[in-house]
Amino acid sequence: MSENVLHIDHLTMRFGGVVAVNDLSMDINKGEIVALIGPNGAGKTTAFNMVTGVYTPTEGKVILDGQDVTGKRPDEITKLGVARTFQNIRLFSSMTVFDNVLTARHLRRTSNFLTATFRLNAAEERKMRAETEALLKEVDLYDLKDEMATSLPYGKQRLLEIARALSTQPKLLLLDEPAAGMNPQETEELGVFIRQIKDKFNLTVFLIEHHMNLVMGISDRIYVIDFGKQIAQGTPAEVQDNPAVIAAYLGVDEEEGVQ
Amino acid sequence: MWNTVFPYILSGISVGGQYALIAIGYTMVYGILRLINFAHGDVFMVAGIIMVYMAASGVPLWLCIPLVLVLTALIGFVIERVAYKPLRTAPRMSAMISAIGVSYTLQNLVLYITGGLNQIYPTIPWISDSVTIFGATTKMVTVITPFLTIILVVALVLLINHTKIGMAMRAVSRDFETSQLMGIKINSVISMTFVIGTFLAGVASILYFTNYTTVIQTSGAMPGLKAFVAAVFGGIGSIPGAVVGAFIIGIAENIIKGLDIILFKAGILSGPVGLATFSDAFTFALLIIILAVKPTGLFGEKITDKV
Amino acid sequence: MSNSISSRKKIDSATIISAVIVACIYVAVFVAEQFVPATSMLFTVLKKGATYALVAVSMNLCNGFTGIFSLGQAGFMLIGAYVYGIFTIPQAARMDVYQYYNGGLVQFTLPWFVAMILGGLAAAFFAFLIGMPVLRLKSDYLAIATLGFAEIIRALFQWDKLGPVTNGSNMLRLFPAFNDFNIKGANGQVTVYLSTLVPLLIAGVCIGIIILLINSTFGRALKAIRDDEIAAEAMGIRLASHKRLAFCISSFFAGVGGAMLAMYQTTVQAKSFTTAMTYEILLIVVIGGIGSVTGSCISSFLFVAASEWWLRFLDQKQVIGGFEVPLLRNGFRLVVFSIIIMIVVLFFRQGIMGTRELPDLIRGWQRKGKGKEAHGK
Repeated sequence: MSENVLHIDHLTMRFGGVVAVNDLSMDINKGEIVALIGPNGAGKTTAFNMVTGVYTPTEGKVILDGQDVTGKRPDEITKLGVARTFQNIRLFSSMTVFDNVLTARHLRRTSNFLTATFRLNAAEERKMRAETEALLKEVDLYDLKDEMATSLPYGKQRLLEIARALSTQPKLLLLDEPAAGMNPQETEELGVFIRQIKDKFNLTVFLIEHHMNLVMGISDRIYVIDFGKQIAQGTPAEVQDNPAVIAAYLGVDEEEGVQ
Repeated sequence: MWNTVFPYILSGISVGGQYALIAIGYTMVYGILRLINFAHGDVFMVAGIIMVYMAASGVPLWLCIPLVLVLTALIGFVIERVAYKPLRTAPRMSAMISAIGVSYTLQNLVLYITGGLNQIYPTIPWISDSVTIFGATTKMVTVITPFLTIILVVALVLLINHTKIGMAMRAVSRDFETSQLMGIKINSVISMTFVIGTFLAGVASILYFTNYTTVIQTSGAMPGLKAFVAAVFGGIGSIPGAVVGAFIIGIAENIIKGLDIILFKAGILSGPVGLATFSDAFTFALLIIILAVKPTGLFGEKITDKV
Repeated sequence: MSNSISSRKKIDSATIISAVIVACIYVAVFVAEQFVPATSMLFTVLKKGATYALVAVSMNLCNGFTGIFSLGQAGFMLIGAYVYGIFTIPQAARMDVYQYYNGGLVQFTLPWFVAMILGGLAAAFFAFLIGMPVLRLKSDYLAIATLGFAEIIRALFQWDKLGPVTNGSNMLRLFPAFNDFNIKGANGQVTVYLSTLVPLLIAGVCIGIIILLINSTFGRALKAIRDDEIAAEAMGIRLASHKRLAFCISSFFAGVGGAMLAMYQTTVQAKSFTTAMTYEILLIVVIGGIGSVTGSCISSFLFVAASEWWLRFLDQKQVIGGFEVPLLRNGFRLVVFSIIIMIVVLFFRQGIMGTRELPDLIRGWQRKGKGKEAHGK
């Protein structure tokens, strides 16, 4: 068995009387692409928020690389190598594309505010800028680097969010509905792109997605949840044939039609 | 001992009632718009100035009082329409800055009109009379303030709970967007909130300035801030909370004013240490403590953020 | 297409032109100071303007660049002003100043710049203390808590029991002021006038440091927090420490600004550091543009010039051709001011500069110029 990157151990999240996630356990191994799917409101984003430290789970543990990170702050978890994107794009709106990505490199600094203010960190700053530039070229956003982040078309904004997440130098990348709002061609390109960056940056990818073509196309394994509880897991083929999944989810999705 | 402490408690209850009436304006506006109306204390001051000028121009006092209340409510209405309504979709900081701008404008306007001199508040018969209760001599207004406050608060709570406009107010403060979708006329609800809030501040101004006898352009700043602290202390958005908070702050502040003497008479202090300097500061220390310990105040509801 | 290499810090022509403009202003002030009579209103405006510019920029660092809506500026200025005053009053004058406290407790004198920095540090230290409970709060609660803090400080410094240090509710005076920067000859005559240039230099250096901070990796992190706290935290930026950093640095410079205000006024009294003072500075920041250092500077000088000089006539009776202009009397200037401010707040929310800086303006002009050239061909 390959190396375990993320182990979610019996996570439960309650908001008042509502149980958003109920006794969820998952394992993600190094180099995998794992998807978490389920109908709207099934608790997918809540699960993400617990992994990234936005919420502290009511019960259960989050184990990252063998280390218990339950209850740690989001910034601490990011420093440990978990980066994420957001379902409703959250770019730094006053900044250019370049600065958005550059800012995400801040956490890997060795300077403090004094050395940074008085430019005693010039070498590091140059390195950060060079790396940002290289990263932007890698994801094909270099030509847009001086544009304001929020002036980009929607698909490019999603791409920029991924680039920004990569800039934190993660081991594990969490993508929250990366294809939302993309057209079929863009979605297809995104699938290729996710595989590419996974190999290039030596990543493990954990994604939430509604786009079944994308999920089935790129995932090694899939977890399905409904009402906060896991109802199935396995390879795309196994999940597609699982009657519980079809009942809870896939049937509904197909009725809604393919985008 | 009691004889020493009682007068301070008495004036504390009185000023607490006045703060309560101002605090309701803060708490209602915050409940609906999530805006600290920094100008509210200055509207209270302007009400005092209107009274001074109206009485001086020969309008009989029995007519002055209702006129002042109506005019004050009108000012509240106009301020909301001019300074806050255009910023309703702007970031929250903009509306707060606008409120500070209105506060600045009102103070400067009054400075210009009065020439920056203390204005003597007219003596209103009966409530300005001296009375002696339990051995402490005070003005009638001190005695009637808490009762009047309670009556007005009960009336307001009844209004909010049992009338259509009150129901609309509750709905809007619960969920702004949804109530708009449900067809509630947001603008009239907000205007009504300002009218009620400033009307009560007008009542408070009559009671307060009868006690303190002079008005100047900065008179509203401190009572305004304290009333706001009271609203936060009680849990912003909660009317009973604001009232309880206001009484606590009023009493505590007055006891601190007399703390030197009280402690001296109790044999704890051998001489004055000037603790009265901190009567204002105490209110703010209380604010910082409550915000650090229980930011939602005594009766506030918890608000959770969505990611 | 421009071939600027962004891996290097861009020092383009616009930045250089901006630096030259600022340098020219300093030279012009130096020259003017030697030839224009020292009593000219121009110098009053420049001195007070420099002080306000520093305080406004420090407030902008917090409110504009980090999104922390703090209203404690007057309190931090007070701390800076008092620390400066307390430690710089000459030994010989202490008996006179602290007449009710037997000469006071502090019996030594520090050089002015040491005391000024100490003032800043003291303000930063208080900011650190108050920041612990307060910085976790949401925007408007934070505003009212910092405002309350300033009021507490004001009361504390007037407390009689602290009189041996703070002189209680009496004013501090006789400490070195801006006029002491003038170089005097043997006969007591001023040989070189520096009383305006030095405050401008102090403010300039401090604002320069703030600009350096804003453009560093830390500045980007602060802007990220302002734009979206949740995203910033998800990118590994620790909110608490960065907010505290911005708050303390902002307070440090507010403290230095307080020391400058003391030098400008030549006296210091706690009761003058009111909430109204904070409001005034906030309004300067708003007029200049929240998030623009250039805007805060321009707006400070405009504000001071208008209130101390250009609009003074509004406060006096004016008779033009035997006709007395109505409304003009004491206080009218402030009314006009208030109306201007409300117009800016309601209709020109971007202020003078929005979030642009001087180099951005120059770049804009350069592009326009190029565009015209191309069009002409």
